[in-house]
Amino acid sequence: MPGDINMWVMVLGDMIIFAGYFVIFMIYRSMNRQEFLLAQQHLNIAIGVTNTVILLTSSWVVALAVQAVRAGEFEKSTRLVLAGGAGGIAFMVLKGYEWASKIAAGHTNSEMFYSFYYVITGVHLLHVLIGLIVLGVVVRELRNPAKRRPAMVETGATYWHMVDLLWVIIFALFYVMR
Amino acid sequence: MNLQSRAITWVWGLLVLITIGTGWLAPAAHTNHLAQASLPITVLVLALALIKSRLIIRYFMEVRNAPRWLGLATDGWLAALFGAVLVIYLV
Repeated sequence: MPGDINMWVMVLGDMIIFAGYFVIFMIYRSMNRQEFLLAQQHLNIAIGVTNTVILLTSSWVVALAVQAVRAGEFEKSTRLVLAGGAGGIAFMVLKGYEWASKIAAGHTNSEMFYSFYYVITGVHLLHVLIGLIVLGVVVRELRNPAKRRPAMVETGATYWHMVDLLWVIIFALFYVMR
Repeated sequence: MNLQSRAITWVWGLLVLITIGTGWLAPAAHTNHLAQASLPITVLVLALALIKSRLIIRYFMEVRNAPRWLGLATDGWLAALFGAVLVIYLV
């Protein structure tokens, strides 16, 4: 098993909770199709695509960090985890800019689509933040020769990939589907 | 680069390509006219999102090398979620 079983239990639990959010979003969408579609048209697709690519790339380098630590390349693994974390920070900055520009354009919680958008991307953003803390712990352990072990990096990576996975679905449901 | 890393890198390339490709289908990518609902586009987008999700689970999260129950659990989650999303869209 890649990583710790307890992390998998938490990740699967989070996946089920988010699936609940997605289903509720879809039910409200099906009751307000035209309204949601027009609101979607006001999203910034360039930012949506860029943020998705950033998170996919971040996930990829963290997956490579797992390979590196298994090969005993601790320095390389540390650098890759740090690069993955930088991707997470870039995602948060871009998301913050996106929120600010939406609010400035008058798209607030008073629109049903945007109230879902702020809550679900907000809860997701909280997971990005927790993921960054997890990656920070991984880096700290990788730097300590007495503590570093592949299972630790695998466990942190599992959480980080979940953040990526949930975003890919948010991107499809909020930005792209019609 | 070992075999695993190479596979992970190919998957990343595919994920990025699909993401950029589907970006063109978004309602916000065409702002010169009012967005129209589209069943074919939605089905295509959901199918591609399902493929992307499964690639992340199998290759990045390494579920393809994990015990069988984990593969069944994640596939069950994908089937339930995407099945529910499509059914709610259709009704």
